[in-house]
Amino acid sequence: MRCAYACGSADHGWSRRQFLTGLTASGTLGLFGGGFAGMIHPAAAKELASAQKRVLLIWLNGGVSQLETWDPKPGTNTGGPFRAIPTSVPGIHISELLPHTARQMHHLALVRSINTQENNHAKGAYIMHTGRREQPGMEYPHLGSVMAKLLTAPDNPLPGYIHITPRGDSGFGKQDAAFLGPRYASVTLADGKPPANFSRPEALTDEADQRRNQLRDRLSQRFAQRRRTAETEAYSQSYEQAAQLIARKSIFDLSQESPRDLERYGTHDFGRHCLLARRLLEHGITFVKVSHTNYDTHYDNFDFHLEQLGEFDRTFATLVEDLHQRGLLSSTLVLVMSEFGRTPTINRNYGRDHWGSAWSVALGGCGIQGGAVVGKTNANGTAVVDRMVHGGHLFHTYFRALGLNPHKNHYHNQQPIPMADPTASAIEEVLA
Amino acid sequence: MAESDAKPKADPARTRVMVEWKHDSPLMACRFDPTGRFLLASAQDNSLQRWELEGGTKTGLVGHQSWVRAFDFIPDGSALVAGDYHGKLLWWPYAEAAPKPLRSLDAHDGWIRAVRVSPDGRLIATCGNDHLVKLWDAVEGKLVQTLMGHTRHVYNVAFHPNGKELVSGDLLGVIKHWDLDKGSVVRELDAKPLHKYDETFRADIGGIRSFAFSPDARLLAAGGITDVTNAFAGIGKPLILLFDWEAGKVRLQLRPKENFQGVVWGIVYHPDNFLAAAGAGAGGALWFWKPDQAQDIHMLKLPNNSRDLALHRDGLRLAVPFYDGSIKIYTMAATS
Amino acid sequence: MKPAFSPALDPRFVLSLIVASWAWPIRAEEPLHEQIDRLIAAGDPEFERKAAPLASDAEFLRRVYLDLVGTIPSAEEARAFLADSSPDKRARLIDDLLARPEHARHLQHVFDALWLERRPDRGVPRGQWQQYLFEAFRSNKPWDQLVRELLAPDLKDPKIQAAAKFYLDRDAEPHQMTSDVSRLFLGMNLQCAQCHDHPVVDDYTQDSYYGIYAFLSRSYVHRPRGSNSSMLAEKAEGEVTYQSVFDPKKVTKSAGPRLPGGELLKEPKFEKGQEYEPAKGNAAPVPKFSRREQLAVLLASRDNAAFKRASANRFWALLMGRGLVHPVDLDHSNNPASHPELLDLLANRFADIRFDIRAFLRELALSRTYQRSSELPVGVDESARETFAVANLKPLSPEQLAFAVMQATGWTDVERKSAKDPNVLYGRLAANMAPFVAAFGTRPGQPIDGSYEATLDQALFVAHGKLLATWLAPHPGGNLTFRLGQRTDPREVAEELFLSVLTRWPSDEERKEVVQYLQDRSGDRVAALQELTWALLASTEFRFNH
Repeated sequence: MRCAYACGSADHGWSRRQFLTGLTASGTLGLFGGGFAGMIHPAAAKELASAQKRVLLIWLNGGVSQLETWDPKPGTNTGGPFRAIPTSVPGIHISELLPHTARQMHHLALVRSINTQENNHAKGAYIMHTGRREQPGMEYPHLGSVMAKLLTAPDNPLPGYIHITPRGDSGFGKQDAAFLGPRYASVTLADGKPPANFSRPEALTDEADQRRNQLRDRLSQRFAQRRRTAETEAYSQSYEQAAQLIARKSIFDLSQESPRDLERYGTHDFGRHCLLARRLLEHGITFVKVSHTNYDTHYDNFDFHLEQLGEFDRTFATLVEDLHQRGLLSSTLVLVMSEFGRTPTINRNYGRDHWGSAWSVALGGCGIQGGAVVGKTNANGTAVVDRMVHGGHLFHTYFRALGLNPHKNHYHNQQPIPMADPTASAIEEVLA
Repeated sequence: MAESDAKPKADPARTRVMVEWKHDSPLMACRFDPTGRFLLASAQDNSLQRWELEGGTKTGLVGHQSWVRAFDFIPDGSALVAGDYHGKLLWWPYAEAAPKPLRSLDAHDGWIRAVRVSPDGRLIATCGNDHLVKLWDAVEGKLVQTLMGHTRHVYNVAFHPNGKELVSGDLLGVIKHWDLDKGSVVRELDAKPLHKYDETFRADIGGIRSFAFSPDARLLAAGGITDVTNAFAGIGKPLILLFDWEAGKVRLQLRPKENFQGVVWGIVYHPDNFLAAAGAGAGGALWFWKPDQAQDIHMLKLPNNSRDLALHRDGLRLAVPFYDGSIKIYTMAATS
Repeated sequence: MKPAFSPALDPRFVLSLIVASWAWPIRAEEPLHEQIDRLIAAGDPEFERKAAPLASDAEFLRRVYLDLVGTIPSAEEARAFLADSSPDKRARLIDDLLARPEHARHLQHVFDALWLERRPDRGVPRGQWQQYLFEAFRSNKPWDQLVRELLAPDLKDPKIQAAAKFYLDRDAEPHQMTSDVSRLFLGMNLQCAQCHDHPVVDDYTQDSYYGIYAFLSRSYVHRPRGSNSSMLAEKAEGEVTYQSVFDPKKVTKSAGPRLPGGELLKEPKFEKGQEYEPAKGNAAPVPKFSRREQLAVLLASRDNAAFKRASANRFWALLMGRGLVHPVDLDHSNNPASHPELLDLLANRFADIRFDIRAFLRELALSRTYQRSSELPVGVDESARETFAVANLKPLSPEQLAFAVMQATGWTDVERKSAKDPNVLYGRLAANMAPFVAAFGTRPGQPIDGSYEATLDQALFVAHGKLLATWLAPHPGGNLTFRLGQRTDPREVAEELFLSVLTRWPSDEERKEVVQYLQDRSGDRVAALQELTWALLASTEFRFNH
């Protein structure tokens, strides 16, 4: 959007401007890649360092039960039939449905005192993605879009925010970027498949495509000789970005991962999607969200959590361990969350209902103190009794964990918009 | 009118509440003991509760660390055997004044979903989330046999009245017919209507929630939920598949006449050749079917979600445990 | 001015035309377009050095087509205009374009997107709304009247009730309405002032926000029982209170209906039970006194300076690519107009001609300011565009892009052959806007102003999308690549190609490039012609109105 260049936004306008100037000066107009880092203004070094950071969000769609995951209450009237098991961190117990995850507990922190006061799926999801409550007339960008903007290096041609969903249509979900603009919107890979336009039509050969693009580029350069603006540059760049993306399309190709890894992750959807997430993170995607569905267990909560967490547990633990082994975990913030938790009260159909007032999320990796547990619910989990926090606190915490300042503003049409809810603050206890 | 000393006949249409008792935790499974003296039910507080039918005195059997969704009795009344979510199988001298477990076994890895004692009282069959069916010596507690072959959670087992054969049914609606002498599968019965993979929910829903052979062993009833339209809320129709045992094929699908959403949680096959079943979803219901009619012959709306169904040895009394912690005894006696 | 169109039957419109026609010369001897040029030049002491010369005929031709009828000219139209040597051909073209139904279609597209911000349909079928807008612009409905209809739609008049879509698609949510009414019609983005006084803009106070809010807070969507229609309704009661989130004491203030800087609305008092007109059937009760109607009357009025400024600035920005107040929704004392005297003049003149949209656009288009080249003169930097010494580049809207691509590829001509009726033709062509809107448009609820962004998916849409590929493949109905395929002289191919797509003759260098390209790809001429056309379509020159 125009604003990113013209409104004087302190955050990224300058580095983009610098980028463009660099290109112009070097005469390699519109070409990304090799040697670009050298053109970055020295002051950008710090920015670039943070650009190496990534976020993995595991979204347990429908609202996972905190009692069957991070805050078990066995032996109480709300606890249900499952037991709590010890973890790799002495003193921390989680549900027996997460035996593999329990062995990764030293990489994870728990916040057991979330109270978002929201029991509606869409509104709860909005809070957890934006760190704000819905507000008429104002739409805040999703965390993925915010991080795509703040953490993605300007020379990275890949989309900054990828969302892997179990089903639906692949495409560009521009809505989630709100005023940050579609550049930072998510690209949805439904069942891990990239959007159709990622592939060049078969009739068009590589050579012909290059040829027509060379002509396009010559025409655009000629036009820009005396009409160059940030907007014309951005337009030319978008084709370069497309070309770069096509050249790196293999990063979306799961078949390049070993069958053994696929076996380790699980041959189910969530297993394949998490393996793809590892591949994307390794290849420079800033923010990867993997949705696992569905946890909206009004009926037979215990059977369904057995089934769903049975998929989640081994796969998630494998992914955390792999990120650790490959040296990526310390620079990758890992989040496991839902739109809300589930009622401590077990309903008449062995189900649990929507519950936004006392539930948990797990965090790990970059900037997070492994093994930390913050907040507490009462004996049977019906209320937060210590360190109550909401979506705003979590949002601040993500920023801090990634080395970003949550007190800065976005600028939209020259209007300052605080990046995180100014009435909240970070949960310091989970920060490393 | 029957003679005054003759045993009254069971008339489903006359079914009515005799007595109601209450516990302070939701109840799940229930059974009358073989002596006919007690009614037992399991509760979400991990206990089993014993009521003396004469007087209603309630005694707790405390020892499980998790929920008991299934238990059965040794026919001589010496013990009941209960399985819990932690995979433990406990023998209880349930008739004692203050029962303490006689024996505790780690029977399965994970939840024991069903426990049945063979008609001769010598074997106990259990099944669970480790995909296994196991047979135990009822007296010694020793593992006799492990039956492998299910690929998903095994929801239920039932002994054939001859005691030499067994059926087991899983989440996917696969029923295996086992020959216990050979320890092998004789055949599979297809109960697929009791399973669905819900594309929206991305999960399997259903399973064999209830099992009952007819006393003459010519029919096998398998109950659960079908036509699921919303797995989130368990919206679907109760269904009993009535198999012709010899042919191994569904002979009739038993469905409630009146619209109802929910699951068949318990089936009783009455010696007078009718079936009774308790189901629940949005509220509970008790239905009665004749084995040759798809629609029920009688239905009783229940005030709360029912979760199981048990028949007293007198053939007249039915017990239903409820979500609200109450348990009700109904009588089908034709005379009052 | 000469009315180059048939006057509509609406007497108010006829009146406005008459008033415009005679009142104007009396009020100003110097035509408005000349005053514009004079005041623009006076705005910068170095104007003469910085000012770009007038655009070439080709540059002007493409620009004025895109701005007034929302697409590019056909090769035929371009040939004819470029060959015309008469001195008044630009003025004649402007009048010609303003009189075309396509002009009304273009404004329909512009204001549909601007006002509804591509929200999903909630009330009023889209087709009815579009027809309402089309007829409004076709009949040259005065701007103030149009805005009044939006702000207080007469629900009894079947021709106007579609205007309720402005509120209905916002679910008549009072904060959303307040925020959008002030932004779109007063040029004041009061968003921040919902929760506290604006932190940066002194003029934007919380009480100005709640003054507008009080006009709208009683409005709601009525859904009659047994019907799935949505009707705009209003209550006769409900007072507004608010607190500032920055106020530690949390003092509760109350707000009555009041425009920023205006007086508190005087309201009649009704006895309890007498506040509403007698109810009719399924309809919601109608208050005897409507705050919403008062908003329309007070806001869209020549007595409201903010409205006049915002209105004049809106149309200025539409043609000039940038507001005199920029951004257009931040009119406040800390963000003065680049040419304050000119904005005042335009605001008053627009009101004087009874908000005659077509007459106003005509004057803007006649100005040298509008007709300047967008090429920066040597030694002049980009800031010269901010003072209108050099023309601004305007990214094509998704709708302009769709229609321009269809015209360039000759798809418009193919469709025209089978659809003689202009409305049928429009319907067929307009059906292709949706994928362009999906790729190039803002997301629902996002402001259109300043929303340009070049993104990966747009490039992929142009590069790999099936729609463009279909239009690029030679079609016997006579699309561009089909026509090019019938020409044997590669130089003629180059000329037809450039004129069709970029509305200009190729340079010598470009002619040679085309010849070379066809020579290199002589083995597959059909593909080569598509590649060449694609390269021009995907070029920056095509993407922008320059």
